[in-house]
Amino acid sequence: MIPSLDLLLALAFGNLGLMLLAGRNPTAGLLSMILYALQGWVLVMLMPALAEGAASGLAFQVFGWSLSWELNGLGWFFAIITVGAAFFSAWFAAGAWGVQGTRSPWAFHVTLAANVAAMLLLLASRDLLTLFIGWELVTWAGYAMMIQSGGPATRAAYKYLIYGVAGGLAVLAAVVLIQVQAGGLGFAAVAAWMPGISTGMLWALMLLLGVGFGIKMAFLPFHRWQAEAYGESPGPAAAFLGAISSRMGLFGLLILLVHFIGLARLDELLLPLIGLDARILWMWLSALTIIIPTFIALKQNDARMLLAWHGIGQGGYMLLGVLVGSELGVAGGLLHVFNYATYQAVLFLVMGAVVYRTGTAHLDRLGGLITRMPLSYVAMLFAIIGLAGLPPMNGFVSKWMVYKALLDEGLPLLFVAAVIGTLGTILSVFKLIHNVFLGQLRVEHEQIREVPFSMWGPMIALSLIVFITGYMPGLALDLVMVAQTSLGFAALDYHLGGFVTDTGNLNMLAVVSVLLLGMGIGAGIFLLGGNKSKRVHQLDNYAGGHFLTTEVRYHYSHHFYAGLLRLIGPWYITLIKRLEGGIAALTDTLAAGSDGLYRTAYTPILMLAATVLGLALVL
Amino acid sequence: MNQQNFPVQVAPLESCREPGPEERSMLRKVLDRVGQYCQSRSLFVLHYCTGCGAIELPPSMTSRFDLERVGMQPMVTPRQADILLITGYLSVKTLKRVILTYEQMQSPKYVMGFGSCTINGGMYWNSYATVKRLGDYIPVDTYIAGCMPRPEAIQQGFLDLIERIDGGRAVAWKDYYRNYDRYLGHQQHLFGRDWLTPTDVVGEAAHYRLAGDGTLGPHTALLDQYAGYHQAWGVPREQYAELEASS
Amino acid sequence: MDFDWQHMLIELLVMPTLAFVVGLVMVLMARRLRARIERRVGPPFWQPLWDILKLYSKRTQVSHGHMHEISIIVLLGGMIAMEVFLPVPGFDTFAHHGDALTLIYLMMVPTLGMALGVSACANPNGSIGIARALTAMLAYDVPFIITVAGAAMLYGTTSLPEIIAIQQQQGLEGWGAVQMPLLALAALISMQAMLGKEPFEIYVAPAEIATGPMTEMSGKFLGSMFIMQCFQLYTVSVLYTTLFLGGGENWATFLIKIFVVVAIPMTLTNIFPRYKTEAVVAWLWKWPTAIALVGLFVVMMR
Ligand code: SF4
Repeated sequence: MIPSLDLLLALAFGNLGLMLLAGRNPTAGLLSMILYALQGWVLVMLMPALAEGAASGLAFQVFGWSLSWELNGLGWFFAIITVGAAFFSAWFAAGAWGVQGTRSPWAFHVTLAANVAAMLLLLASRDLLTLFIGWELVTWAGYAMMIQSGGPATRAAYKYLIYGVAGGLAVLAAVVLIQVQAGGLGFAAVAAWMPGISTGMLWALMLLLGVGFGIKMAFLPFHRWQAEAYGESPGPAAAFLGAISSRMGLFGLLILLVHFIGLARLDELLLPLIGLDARILWMWLSALTIIIPTFIALKQNDARMLLAWHGIGQGGYMLLGVLVGSELGVAGGLLHVFNYATYQAVLFLVMGAVVYRTGTAHLDRLGGLITRMPLSYVAMLFAIIGLAGLPPMNGFVSKWMVYKALLDEGLPLLFVAAVIGTLGTILSVFKLIHNVFLGQLRVEHEQIREVPFSMWGPMIALSLIVFITGYMPGLALDLVMVAQTSLGFAALDYHLGGFVTDTGNLNMLAVVSVLLLGMGIGAGIFLLGGNKSKRVHQLDNYAGGHFLTTEVRYHYSHHFYAGLLRLIGPWYITLIKRLEGGIAALTDTLAAGSDGLYRTAYTPILMLAATVLGLALVL
Repeated sequence: MNQQNFPVQVAPLESCREPGPEERSMLRKVLDRVGQYCQSRSLFVLHYCTGCGAIELPPSMTSRFDLERVGMQPMVTPRQADILLITGYLSVKTLKRVILTYEQMQSPKYVMGFGSCTINGGMYWNSYATVKRLGDYIPVDTYIAGCMPRPEAIQQGFLDLIERIDGGRAVAWKDYYRNYDRYLGHQQHLFGRDWLTPTDVVGEAAHYRLAGDGTLGPHTALLDQYAGYHQAWGVPREQYAELEASS
Repeated sequence: MDFDWQHMLIELLVMPTLAFVVGLVMVLMARRLRARIERRVGPPFWQPLWDILKLYSKRTQVSHGHMHEISIIVLLGGMIAMEVFLPVPGFDTFAHHGDALTLIYLMMVPTLGMALGVSACANPNGSIGIARALTAMLAYDVPFIITVAGAAMLYGTTSLPEIIAIQQQQGLEGWGAVQMPLLALAALISMQAMLGKEPFEIYVAPAEIATGPMTEMSGKFLGSMFIMQCFQLYTVSVLYTTLFLGGGENWATFLIKIFVVVAIPMTLTNIFPRYKTEAVVAWLWKWPTAIALVGLFVVMMR
């Protein structure tokens, strides 16, 4: 077998077919794992061929449109993450979880395979039509994945679908616009046409693409669907969706907005009154996408919701980094895609494991699980340090790059905004780990055991990746550079441990080594310095002389950060509710207006006009 | 945080005795000496102020006499404290809390009985609700006589204690481990057979080799009997009442 | 990059030791200052050391599980790493491998370690303390980050040794405090909160939540937190000196500078009561943040 894009797609669709047939079989998880591993291997083998582009032999002619596929560096980078996320999710579902933890393992395996296949198709698109087809497939595959737990998940998925279809239409409109104007849909034709377009056209394209792809990314103000849709999905499905699904929107934006239109063109788009250009506007929107969802996450009482809201917020860093446009910024943004996928997958998997054992992800009904599920705890600890962006984990590196790029480009206020997002993240992830794993163990959880290897294996493996790519960011940057050069940016100068720049260095090898050495010294002082310790019962605890019993809940979990929320709680209502209310009202008015128009005015004539207009545009 | 029932009985406790001074290595001796010195120079005090005598503490602590000069500081929780200061009379109810607090403190720990109420019941000698001798329930290092003692007397008491700690003579806390059964007997006499704190004194004595002849006995055997069934460890009250009735 | 192993090893061992010793003296100074303001004599010279040794020499040590112990190791390790990355006269090999941003985030590692250990104790007083400490961090880091951004703009670099070199070249006029007085003031206020001193001392609050994070800490666990306090005083003062007071030309001026920097919050702390949590956040997001923003605009206008 010669590794080629054909082989990759064949494996992906073969996997889909296989799962459709044998998804109920207990070995289905193992089988799909192997197939994902094979896809990963093909991708790795494709790496040298990427410079010229790995084309597929597959080509269709439909109504005179030719469809063909080719994988470039950017698509390859996202494909690696997709297949990796699928591999670990499938691993998680391969054992006990697939047998007992879900209503239908078949639905999970099939939808996962379908998602991967659709995403690979999207990532390998060579022209705007295949891009659009891939886009729609991804939307629907995502919908199929979200509805599998039923109940509230169905409602959330339906909401997603409405958003997704609207986004799809916006993308379609942009595609049609480009076809009409550029006279072709191939990427080459688009690239040739782009430099000459007018400002008005640029605005139209930017808005259409921004809406279309921004919805999938849950970019502010289109962020409302995502948390529920991801949070309600079962553990590994949420891990996969959370890790990579939304990044397809980023991929679309990168390829069209950043690659074809180019950041320089965005600078030309001045807003009428304020005098800001479109790029700064995008950056501030990204910054708001970081801050607002992060602080909404802080308020969540369901662990999965909390994570899903953070997923939205972290998306902001990626776009922010890329929009800075310097090598460091772009690399930081792209590296954050990779890093984020690793730790977000761990977090959702751990919560999947906790739900599997305790039946709840409610942050007021857990606590003290560290003694019962220590491996899950370690995995979550690594991942939250990553998510919070603290050394020594990988999240720190990519965030550092974004911060540094912002400072170097002279954008200190955006830097401050990005850091505020990080601070909010630290608060909320600490609440997560505290309420789930630390504090008092509840009586009803006394008999709980650690999850089996099939479930802790992927968590621990991924959390090790989180650590290792934090220790040696050069490893992940090797992948990032493939995407970065294919996007048309110069490659960044880096080494295994980090960067040397004129304005400040980062060497994670030194930072982490010193941290580990420091901990060694600390361990020496602490363990040898005093008498051996004796472990006591959790109820042997200070309570002002009160005798604790298990009847007394001695765990602070409800209304965590009470003091902070007393201050900022009302802001949520005033600021966020009004913002969202405004968007909803706008949509309502538009919908009602068009609805009224269709109903009262002469419907057939309008339909005719629309059809004629559409045909005229296309032909 | 393992949920086993307390206390853990380590029987026999023969191997858990403290090695004698002559068995210690030279390094151990030096370290112990340094430790003793630092222990005498740095004392964190936990005030258990139920009695009237508490009023004499502010002048001792603040600018008039300034106990920080000799390294004494007030602390908040028993975990952090070295000295438990019992300022006056103790009712049966507060004594329970005092014992829990004492057991939660880290050894070496010192108890100061403050005022005549802790010595012999003082002016509450006739009361049905107060205990007469604190020393029956927890080991006391120093008593300060008086009703109430003046700050000068308090300071004298502290200086006395410091001197004894430095000389390695303030070892009443060891007595609690070595003769736990006797103290527990007094406690049970007052609070009933099912008296139990969430702390594990016997286990601690075993872990730190502080056990003695009197660590285990008939009273600690009762602990064992109730430990598994005591409501403190999650058994509902009704079930416990049943058990009580049957025994 | 060439690695001078010998030099690195010396830095790795000497810098934390120095930091600890200086930190001990700073603790002593803080306690003496407090005593003098209250018209007391105060503790003897060796008191901070005796406290720590006493706590380590406790016979019994209560642990609430492995996480409780690991967290203390993380706390000490994070602190030691932080000291190594600080640029001090004569020792800045490691400072070249990180920058101001790295250091700020490295400063959160011991806090996180402490937070995990305290939560592992299953005591709500501790958890409330940590929740408040993190809230305070969210509050004081906003003005502090703005000042760091301002400093990065002014000096055009985030590398700490570079910042020191730039300031020292220009003499007294080059000092950050002269160049950007508003930012220096805002940083001073957030430093007060960073050290957890009144009026921002919300997370220890002995009368309210029983010393919060330290509730269940005993023996060497508490001793390690005392060590952390020494390191913290040292780190924050060195960072402030580096950004605003031209760093240290030599150890003599350096020590004078950092002691003066620590003396300011330690004096102010004695004349204030304590704010409520939400009041701390509101106050820090209002005044120092406003001052810092104005300062930042002034810097950017130049
Ligand atoms: S000894 Fe005197 S002053 Fe002290 S508690 Fe008893 S009666 Fe009150």
